[in-house]
Amino acid sequence: MDIFDAAISSLTLLLTYDVMLMLFIGVIYGLCVGLMPGLGGIVAIALLLPFTMGFGVIPTLALLLGAHIATIWGGSVTSILFNVPGAAKSLALVFDGHPMTRNGEASRALGASAMAALLGGIIGAIFLALSIPLVRPVMLSIGPSEYLILALWGLSIIATFSDGSMLKGGVATCLGMMAAFVGMDPITGTPRFWMDSIYLLDGIYFPVAMIGLFAISEMIKLYVKQTSFVERVEGRETSTLLSGCKDAFKHWWLVIRSSLLGLWIGVLPGIGASVGGIAAYAQAVQTSKNPEKFGKGAVEGVIAPDATLGANEGGGLLPTLAFGIPGGESMAILLVAFLSMGIVPGPQMLTTDLDLVFAMVWIIVFANIFTAIIGLAISPKLSKLPRLNPNIMIPIVLSVCLFGAYVTRGYFADMVLAFLFGIFGYYMDKYKFSRANFVIGMVLAEMIERNLHISLGLYGDFFIFTQPVSIILLVLLFITTALSLKRKNNRSKEVNV
Amino acid sequence: MRKLFLSAIFISSSLLAQDNPINSNALTIIVPNAAGGLMARYARMIEPYLEKYLEMEVNIRIMTGGGNIRGTNFVWFAEPDGATIGFTSIPSLVLAQFSNSPAVQFDIEAFSFLGRVSTEPRVLTTGKQSNIRDANSLLAMDREFIYPSQGTDEDFFTMIVLADALDIKLKPIMGYNGNPDTAMAIIRGDGDGQITSWRASLASINNGDQIPLLNIGSEPYEDFPNVPSVLSYARDDSIEAMTAIVEMLDTHRGFFGPPGLSNETVNYLREKIFLALNDPELKEIARQNALPLVPSHGELEALKINQLVSSESLIMPILESTLDTLR
Repeated sequence: MDIFDAAISSLTLLLTYDVMLMLFIGVIYGLCVGLMPGLGGIVAIALLLPFTMGFGVIPTLALLLGAHIATIWGGSVTSILFNVPGAAKSLALVFDGHPMTRNGEASRALGASAMAALLGGIIGAIFLALSIPLVRPVMLSIGPSEYLILALWGLSIIATFSDGSMLKGGVATCLGMMAAFVGMDPITGTPRFWMDSIYLLDGIYFPVAMIGLFAISEMIKLYVKQTSFVERVEGRETSTLLSGCKDAFKHWWLVIRSSLLGLWIGVLPGIGASVGGIAAYAQAVQTSKNPEKFGKGAVEGVIAPDATLGANEGGGLLPTLAFGIPGGESMAILLVAFLSMGIVPGPQMLTTDLDLVFAMVWIIVFANIFTAIIGLAISPKLSKLPRLNPNIMIPIVLSVCLFGAYVTRGYFADMVLAFLFGIFGYYMDKYKFSRANFVIGMVLAEMIERNLHISLGLYGDFFIFTQPVSIILLVLLFITTALSLKRKNNRSKEVNV
Repeated sequence: MRKLFLSAIFISSSLLAQDNPINSNALTIIVPNAAGGLMARYARMIEPYLEKYLEMEVNIRIMTGGGNIRGTNFVWFAEPDGATIGFTSIPSLVLAQFSNSPAVQFDIEAFSFLGRVSTEPRVLTTGKQSNIRDANSLLAMDREFIYPSQGTDEDFFTMIVLADALDIKLKPIMGYNGNPDTAMAIIRGDGDGQITSWRASLASINNGDQIPLLNIGSEPYEDFPNVPSVLSYARDDSIEAMTAIVEMLDTHRGFFGPPGLSNETVNYLREKIFLALNDPELKEIARQNALPLVPSHGELEALKINQLVSSESLIMPILESTLDTLR
């Protein structure tokens, strides 16, 4: 079966009443789950799985993939409006999405977010189909030393958030990395910094730390200042959804770059989507003509991570289908669903069962379209929420945050920890230590630790110089970081003049 | 012999109707693993059938934390009234105790083992890029066997004992991000082999990316009956330790109760659990959900654990020497 025939025949399989209904239900459900902080696509699929018995393969895939894709945009909404990352992967959206809300541009941010995710999903799906022959060689050429360089590249953006003092930025990053070291070390399982507490043996749960650092600290700030989220003097929302949608098209090259990055990060099983969002943000900053605007409400800071997340899921499907190796946690649950539906992953998926692969590609495309349409339809109402009176807003957001902190693992201690991180985040913000740097350090620490250890063990002390792909990536890392610092330096000189 | 033993237990359990010795309206099953994970899915699938045979309410309580230790500690300290039991991977508990984790507050020997739900036979595979092609070329290796691993899990400990039993020089590389990452390392040629369940590696084996070397079990795997058992290659003086590890892996997903349960309660729970797991309707649902059931009576599982614990003096020095090197 050739690619074109497979694409057409799978589309006809999809355009039926029951498949579209399942997709619609999945998207609505996914949006609801995504809007709850702490819950993400993995939880959404795991909860749905028992209810899929008895349905056909395509309707089941429509339900599961639809729900999973919609959770991603749901997570972006809470990041943009309330500084609450819906899931770890939506973290990068708080860096510029929430400042846009505070600048009175919530509608524009939501429009840009929905459109970037849609374009990312579609571009990701198209390139997913085109990339099928490339998947194997790329997967085989990227190993631990290359993952290490990618993580270090992610760290290079801390300069962006270190306005005023690089020292404070560095301190915040180090603190984040230290927080990630709490628990069992990923190499030998030896407990460290656990203070004889079984609760800390699992480490600091990342979504709980995020909820505290960004959302609860923001509520404390609102309480202290007694203002609403929106800091503009006029207090009026002047931006529109349409302007956000136009922004996504205006930055078409950024959307394509970020989508391809997301697609390949999804393909590689060693990198999580949370790192993907940060990597997308990093490349947006480093290639921007105005990097100084990032962190203060640059629309590119919303477009890049959303396009990456939109394309990421399609990428995760490839190794899951071709190798039976899931590209991420949610793909691992999908793999269980595939097996229970009698779908056996393997190279034959990319040859004889190509129509099934394309059915999934089309489902991703339609799920992104449904999510964008529903998202854009509800955005005008959503964008008004941050303007609520703080006396109404604080209890609502705090309740949702504490519920989100509790519900994922069922620990009362998670609520306490979220609150402690809230106080910590409030003081970090007050004394200008970047919270973004803290979480970037926290996300990347484990990836750096794991891959540094594996690379040293496999290739020896000078591993970077023995791995050709690593050398290329390292040179790129130096060039992009140097250019970014040079631009920053030039700009501060201009400001001084 | 084992089948005969099981049949005897099954027949006797069917014939003997007992009064419920549990003085409670509800049974709480603690699952120390992640919500939504395989263990939780198994527990929720079995729950209605336990209710059917125990004739009481059954509640599933997910209690993750500390690498399964938090929930297990909870069961350890539970009242021995039969109202609280646990369900998890039994080998992970054994190894948590063997590795002297400071968080462990339980003694595996004192738990009551109430029955196995399922087990997945395991296999040592190698990648196409490696120069190892079969068990004989593995034994003839004159270099270190590079073993990528995600951490100190049961497969890692099995590999340590296996390397000792086969006189292979082992070089573990720790820190991989789960089985998918180790599988890629094998396919890429970074590592020489990995131990997984047959089911997890089946797709890669079928498409030729991985080659099965040794079956980690006493009986041949039905789809690949020609893959030799690890026991047939083990040195004579190490066969006891290797057998104990194979038996330990065989216990896999099972129910366990707190110390101090009365014999009456233990027998009651073992029999009702065994009956529930053999319910034809549950078996069909398990098949549809791709969650295979391989039930085994609690009494047989307890024997396996006792055998393993009695081999502790053989296994511990092997594990400790490797862990010391790593640390």
